[in-house]
Amino acid sequence: MDVEREGGRGANQLRPMDCTRSVLSRAHGSASCSNGETRVLAAVYGPKAGTKKNENPEKACIEVIWKPKTGQIGKQEKEFEMILKRTLQNICLLTAHPNTTTSIIVQVAHDDGSLLPCAIHAACAALVDAGIPLKYFAVAICCSFSESGHILLDPNKLEEQKMKALVYLAFPSSVRSVLTEGSENGEESAENGIITSLTHGVMPVDSYFQCLEQGRAAVTPLTNILKKKLQSPSPINQSAAA
Amino acid sequence: MESKPSVSPSSFVDQQVFPGDVVLDLSKMTNQTIKLGGGLHQDGDFISVIKAGKLRFSKPNKYWVESSHKRYVPSVGDNVLGIVVDARADNFFVDIKGPMLAVLPVLAFEGGTRRNIPKFEMGTLLYLRVVKANPDMNPELSCMDATGKAGEYGPLKDGFMFESSTGLSRMLLSSPTCPVLETLGKKLAFEIAVGLNGRVWVNATSPSIVIFVANTIMLTESLSPVQQKIKVENMLQRLQ
Repeated sequence: MDVEREGGRGANQLRPMDCTRSVLSRAHGSASCSNGETRVLAAVYGPKAGTKKNENPEKACIEVIWKPKTGQIGKQEKEFEMILKRTLQNICLLTAHPNTTTSIIVQVAHDDGSLLPCAIHAACAALVDAGIPLKYFAVAICCSFSESGHILLDPNKLEEQKMKALVYLAFPSSVRSVLTEGSENGEESAENGIITSLTHGVMPVDSYFQCLEQGRAAVTPLTNILKKKLQSPSPINQSAAA
Repeated sequence: MESKPSVSPSSFVDQQVFPGDVVLDLSKMTNQTIKLGGGLHQDGDFISVIKAGKLRFSKPNKYWVESSHKRYVPSVGDNVLGIVVDARADNFFVDIKGPMLAVLPVLAFEGGTRRNIPKFEMGTLLYLRVVKANPDMNPELSCMDATGKAGEYGPLKDGFMFESSTGLSRMLLSSPTCPVLETLGKKLAFEIAVGLNGRVWVNATSPSIVIFVANTIMLTESLSPVQQKIKVENMLQRLQ
């Protein structure tokens, strides 16, 4: 099952991931996330008063604007906006600030494959930076299915074009918990969940489930990397008055 | 998962926590009343974190997540700096950097009656106290303290207001006096008003002092107390 990949990567190996928060000084929250050569910048504004017309006023509303690197905004961008909005609606605690709108602007700096997972990470990191209440992180990964039946994780642009099918998966992040006896159940219920699944192309059902398993296996390491990168930048001094 | 059953909360206290982490299991803590502050959410029997930050515990029973952001979550009793956005018959609408516009009743002033309603223009800077802060309503403010006296509340004239994060405001208001303000106060004379919503107002006799104090405060946000003192002393030396 040895597949030749650029740079000597294994079939299950992900590209180096990096995440920085508070990159923009005027946005209420911002983050820049890179996955190999793919780079995405996300900015969060809000929560601001008022919801849009057809949205439920008892919950917070999330608005996503996707800006591609070049070209006009078309159907592909609208599709990304809708997917990102649904994913983020799942992870945000919408009842915390009812009747407010939070705007997330995603700017693609460079697309070298695996763009949607990178954007999901950037948006999550920006939400954490802005202090929007979240239930958990979303951790996303791209699996690709090749003609010869191999599954490659995190393909770059060239590999993506040669693949027969692509699967984008977003899972809830693994959490640390103080539960001891209930730890088995606690971990299961969080890790068995899936937030988003998007497929392009044709693949057999078994391969899809295999992609799911491989993606789920990557959740814990990805969560740990994200958490490490999102550590608070400045030491907050102990405030007895607060 | 090597946390001990009855003292498990201590494993997360004073540590960085992220959204989703379960920090308290209420089924193991019977006969206790716990008070939850910002950043924590109750999910049945579990208390989970909804904001990233440091988990803090204060005896006997208060838990909260400390984090620093550019937006403010209104809570009762806080002193904030607000900017008047609109004036109506009964209230002023004031922006306090929160999710919703806050409301300042026209009679919430010392000795306020229908005859002597203050006239605030749009853009007036006010020092106010948060009276009501429910999540689904506009927060309500007041220009009086709890006993009904004006105190220091009201419009702030002259001076310069700058915005920063809530963490910086808490640092400036911490007791004992924050090293930055102490060191600055020994050499310069200035007036300062700190709002817990991330706004700071500085006033002094000459503009150069105002600019110096504002810049110094903004530069010392991410420094430890010792570093702050050193930095401020260096800058004071360059000033003279």
